Amino acid sequence: MLRKEFVTMCSTFQEKLSNIITEAEGLLKTASNLKEIDEVRIKTIGRKGAITEISKELGRLPSNEKPAAGKALNMAKKKMTELLSNFTELLESSDHTNSKDVLDISLPGRKWSVGKKHPITQTIDDCIDIFRRIGFIVASGPDIETVYHCFDALNAPVDHPSRSESDTFYFSDGRLLRTQTSTVQIRVMENQEPPIRIIAPGPCFRPDNPDASHSANFHQLEGLYINKNVSLAELKSTLLYFAKELLGDDVKIRFRPHYFPFTEPSLEYDFSCTSCAGKGCRLCKNSGWLEISGAGMVDPSVLEAVGYDPKIWSGFAWGMGIERIAMIRHGINDIRYFYDNDLRFLKQF
Amino acid sequence: MNISYNWLSQYVDIPFSPEDLVEKLTMAGIEVESISKTNIIPDLVIVAEILERNPHPDADKLSVCKVWTGKEELQIVCGAPNCNKGLKTALAQIGTEFIDSKTDKKLKIKKSKLRGTESYGMLCSSVELGIDGGDHSGIMELPDNSPVGRSLNEIYKSDTVYELEITSNRPDWLSFIGIAREIKALSSHPIKFPQINLPYIQSDKDYTDLIEILDYDLCPRYSGRIIRDVTVKDSPSWLKERLLSIGLRPINNIVDITNFVLFELGQPLHVFDLDELSENRVIVRRAKDKEKIIVLDGKEYILSKDQLVIADALKPVALAGVMGGEQSGVTEKTVNILIESAYFNPANIRNTSRDLNLSSDSSHRFERGIDAEMIKVASDRTASLILELAGGRLCSELIDIKDGSLIPKPKIVECYFDNIRSILGINISNQEIITIFNSLDLKVSDISLNKCFVAATSFRLDVEREADLAEEVLRIYGLSRIPLVEVKALPGGSIKKDAYVQIAKGRDDLISLGLTECINYSMADKKVILKDDNFKESDLHEVINPISVESSVMRPSLFFGILKVISRNISHNNQDLKIFEIGKVYSANPELQEERYSCCIAMTGRKHAERFSAEKNEVYDFYDLKGLIESWIGMRKLAPVKFIKSDNSLFKPGFVADIIIRGKKVGTFGEICSQFTKGIRIKNPLYVAVIEFEQIIKMKTGQVKYQPISLFPATTRDVSVVADESMENSVIINCIEKAKCKLLEKVEILDIYRDDSLGHGKKSIAYTLTFRNKFKTLTDKEVNSAHEMIRNKLAKELPIELR
Repeated sequence: MLRKEFVTMCSTFQEKLSNIITEAEGLLKTASNLKEIDEVRIKTIGRKGAITEISKELGRLPSNEKPAAGKALNMAKKKMTELLSNFTELLESSDHTNSKDVLDISLPGRKWSVGKKHPITQTIDDCIDIFRRIGFIVASGPDIETVYHCFDALNAPVDHPSRSESDTFYFSDGRLLRTQTSTVQIRVMENQEPPIRIIAPGPCFRPDNPDASHSANFHQLEGLYINKNVSLAELKSTLLYFAKELLGDDVKIRFRPHYFPFTEPSLEYDFSCTSCAGKGCRLCKNSGWLEISGAGMVDPSVLEAVGYDPKIWSGFAWGMGIERIAMIRHGINDIRYFYDNDLRFLKQF
Repeated sequence: MNISYNWLSQYVDIPFSPEDLVEKLTMAGIEVESISKTNIIPDLVIVAEILERNPHPDADKLSVCKVWTGKEELQIVCGAPNCNKGLKTALAQIGTEFIDSKTDKKLKIKKSKLRGTESYGMLCSSVELGIDGGDHSGIMELPDNSPVGRSLNEIYKSDTVYELEITSNRPDWLSFIGIAREIKALSSHPIKFPQINLPYIQSDKDYTDLIEILDYDLCPRYSGRIIRDVTVKDSPSWLKERLLSIGLRPINNIVDITNFVLFELGQPLHVFDLDELSENRVIVRRAKDKEKIIVLDGKEYILSKDQLVIADALKPVALAGVMGGEQSGVTEKTVNILIESAYFNPANIRNTSRDLNLSSDSSHRFERGIDAEMIKVASDRTASLILELAGGRLCSELIDIKDGSLIPKPKIVECYFDNIRSILGINISNQEIITIFNSLDLKVSDISLNKCFVAATSFRLDVEREADLAEEVLRIYGLSRIPLVEVKALPGGSIKKDAYVQIAKGRDDLISLGLTECINYSMADKKVILKDDNFKESDLHEVINPISVESSVMRPSLFFGILKVISRNISHNNQDLKIFEIGKVYSANPELQEERYSCCIAMTGRKHAERFSAEKNEVYDFYDLKGLIESWIGMRKLAPVKFIKSDNSLFKPGFVADIIIRGKKVGTFGEICSQFTKGIRIKNPLYVAVIEFEQIIKMKTGQVKYQPISLFPATTRDVSVVADESMENSVIINCIEKAKCKLLEKVEILDIYRDDSLGHGKKSIAYTLTFRNKFKTLTDKEVNSAHEMIRNKLAKELPIELR
C-alpha cells in the first residue's frame, strides 16, 4: 500500500512535470509577444510557478526515488529554460521577417529643450577651469566699492584721470562701482596671509556710452599670485599656459611694456592672432597680435598698503576682459550682442 | 602725440627703418596707435617752369601752357587758376604712376587730348602729391629758386608719421628729444642736441621787476626774457613743414617757434606781446573769484580762486599753463615780446583743465610734470630761433624766479642686482644692468659686488624704487627675452572657499533643466522699478553720474531685466521663452544685504514649439514653473519645500505662491500681473519666479545618507474622492498622511476630473496609494485593511464623498 502510494506519487511527480512542460509548450507556440512568453516563465519556473511549487514535493519522496525525481526536476527546469529561450529567439527573429507595421522614421523626434549658458559665462567658466587646474581658486568682492579699494590701495595717484566722474560711477556716499576686478586683490590680501593664488571674475562698470566695443557693464577676470621669489618669467609662462589651453597650442604670447599704478614692472600682453596665425588680418589690424590686457609684478606700494612686507613677498597680477576673449573666440564683432539676450544669439553657443 | 621720422632723425641717427621703428617703440613701451606715410612723390614728378599761358580754344576754364622741363618744352593743358607764366611748379611727366590712396589703384599719366588739344603731362597740386598741409585750390607754387628738372622728391622728402600713445608715467616722452633718448638707449647712437646760439644781450633797462610770483605753491618757477623789435611774419617753409608733418597748423613765426620748441624739448612756452601788458610786467597769482578771461580759443572763462593766472598790473593775461589770453597774444602788429618758460603745479593744472573743460598741448605736459632742467634750455632755444627767424634784439638775461624747494627732485635708488634678476626671472650680469642704466642717463655710483646706487634725472622722476629700475632693465633687455619656466600647479586654498562653486552649480542645474541663461546690465531705470510696489525709492542705490536715466540705479531685482529680454525677443517674433538670470541685486535698505545673488526664472509660450501634432500647442502654465522649481530645489537636496499663498503685487492675485525651504521664505513665483506686460505683444501668460539665490546657496546640504532598498514588493490601491472645487489637494494629502498608516509609502495624485454628473462646483480627485513593508511581502488582507483605514479617515475628517 505504502509502496503503491510511493509509486503513484513518484509517477505523478514525473508526469506532473511533463504535463506542465507540454502545457507550457502549447502556450509558447501561441505566444505572439515577449510579454506572453514571460508570463509562461512566471507560471512555470517563476517564484510561484508550477515547477517551483512541485519541487517542494521532492522532500516527501522515499529516499531511493529522490535521485531519479531530482534528476527529472533538473531536466524539466533545463527543458523549460531552453523552450523559453528558443521561443523568445523565434519571436525576436520573426520581428525582422514578419513585421508589417513601419514607422515614418523621417518624422522629427520630440526634441527636449536644451538650456544654454550665456557666452560670457561660458568664457568665464572655461577660464576658471584652466586656472583652477594650476591651483588658483576663485575669490570675489563687492561691486559697490570704496575709493580705497578701487584706487588708493592700488596706488592710483590722487588725481589720476581714472578716478574722475567721466571714468567712474559714483554714489552720493562717496563710494563707487568698481571699474576693475583688481579691487578683489586688495579684498583678499586684507583678509589673508600670503601665499595667495586667486582669480576673480566679475562685472565691472565704467561710464562709457555703448558702441560696438564699449559697454558700461562688462566683465573682467583678475588673477593674483603672491609668494616668495615670484618672477616675471612665471607670469609669462602662466599666461602662455592659459593662452594655449584656451586658444590652442599654436598660440604665442607677447609682452609690451606699459604703465599701471598697481604693478611695476607693468606690461600689456598680446596673443598671436587666432584668425590669421600672426600673418596679419583685419581682426588684428595687420599686426599679427591681439591685444588682451594688462599685467605685471605687484607694485611694492600695493603690498605695503595691505601690510605685506615687499622685501619678503612678491607676486604678479593680471587682468583680462571677458567680453574681449569671448569676441575673439566666437568672432563676435559687437559687444552689445552680449547684453541684448536675443535667443537667436544665445542659442548659438 | 604725433612724431615724424624725418624730424626725429634730426636728434639721433635712427638705425631702424620707418617700419622697424614701430616695433622698437612698441617694445620700449611707447604704443604706436597709427602710422601714416606722407610725401610719397613718384620719381617722374619734377620741378618745371611755365613759359607761356594761352587760353584753350574750346574750353573757358582750361589753359594751354608751354612748360620747360630743363630739357625740353612741352605743351600741357591745365585747369588750375594759377598756372601763370613764370611759375615754378610740379610736373608729372608722361609715364608717372600715382597710387590713389583711397582705392590703392595705379594711375598712369599718358599723352592725352583735352577738348581736342594735346597734353604731354600733368601739372600737380600739393594734395595730388600727398604733401602735408597741401591745398587743392591750384597747382603747387614752388619757390623761385627751385631747380628746374630736379625730381620733386629730392625737395619734399617722404616721411612717416606715428601717432603715439604715451602712458601717464612718462611725460618725458612727450617730445622729440624724449623719444630720441629712447632710441639712443636702444641703439647707443648719441643724441644730437640742437645748437643754441644766443648773442650778446643788449640790455636796455633793469628787468628785475618783470616777474612777480604771488603763489609759489602753484608756480614754483617762472622765467621770462625780453626780445624787442621782432618782425612777425610767416614761418620759413622748413618750420611750416615740421609743424604740418605732425598735424599742427602754422600761424606765424613766433607762435610756430613756441610750438616747435614745445614738441622738440617738451617744455611748453608762451609769448606775450609786451606792449599789451599793463606796466609791462607779469604777476603769477591765483585768480580772483569770478574773474574773467578770454583766451586764444576766443571763449570767455569765469575763474575761481583755485585757478592760477598770469596777470599784468590790471587783469589776467593768460590761464597759467593752459592757454594764453586773446588780448596779450602775438599778432602781426607785435614788436616787443616776453617769452615765458615756467613750471606749474601739475595737480592744479589738471584741475583747472578739467574744471574749465579746456586742454592744450601745454596743459597736457604741465599736468603730467615737466623737466625743470629744461626751463632755461627751452627759453634759450626759443629766443635763439626767434632772433634767427624774426629778428630783433635780445634785451634781457633770463629773469628766473623760483622756489626750488617746491619742485620735485630726482631720487637716488639703492639697487641690489640679485633683486633685479629675481623679479624678472632672467640671467643678466651686474655689468649688463649697469650698462642699461647708463644708456638711460641714470647715473650709477657706489658699485659693489651686490648693489649699486642709481640717480634718476630731472626728466625721470618716475624712477623712485628698485621695482622701477627693474622695469627699466626689462624694457631695454627686451620683454621677448623673458624665458619660459615650467608652470606648476600650486594649491591656492580649499575649494570650499572657492566663491564660484555654488553659483555655478545653481546655474548649471537650471541650464540642465532646459533654461537659457541671460546676462543683463546691473543698472536699471528707476521709474520702471518703482512701478513694482516691492521697492521704495529709499531702497535704491542711485549713481550720481549715470550715462542715461534708463540706467541710473542699481537693480534691486532681476525681474525688469528679464522682462526687457522677453520684450526684445517677442518683438523679434519669439513668443516661446524659457530663460533665467543669476546675478547680483542691490539694496540701500539697511535691513537687507547690500549686494546679494538673486535668481529670476521666466517662462511663457509653447513648451514644445519644435514638436508636432497636439504637443505643439501646449503652453506653459503655473504647474510647469512650480515643477521646475521643485526639480531645481530637489537637485540641491534642500527638503522640505513648501509653497504657500502669497499676495505679492507683482503677480496676478490667486496665481502666486511663496517658496518656503526649511521654514524660510526664499522666493515667490506665479503669473505676472498684466499691468507689467503692457506694451509687450505677449500672447500667453508670463510665469516668473524671483528667488533669493544667496539664501539658497547658504543652505547646507549635508552628506547624503544611503537608504536601504527594500527587497519586498509594493502594492498599490487607488482612492477617489468627490469634493468641492475649493478643497485643496494638500488638505486631502495631509489627511491621508495623518492616518499614520505605517505601510503607506507614498501618495500620488492620479487624476482630477470634472463632470456635470458630479454636480456644479465639484471635482473628483483620484490618488494612487503605494503600500510596502520593508521586511516582508504584504498580504492582500494587510493592504486592504490599510486602504480601508485611509478611506475611513478621509470620510470622517473631510467634507468629501468617497467613490
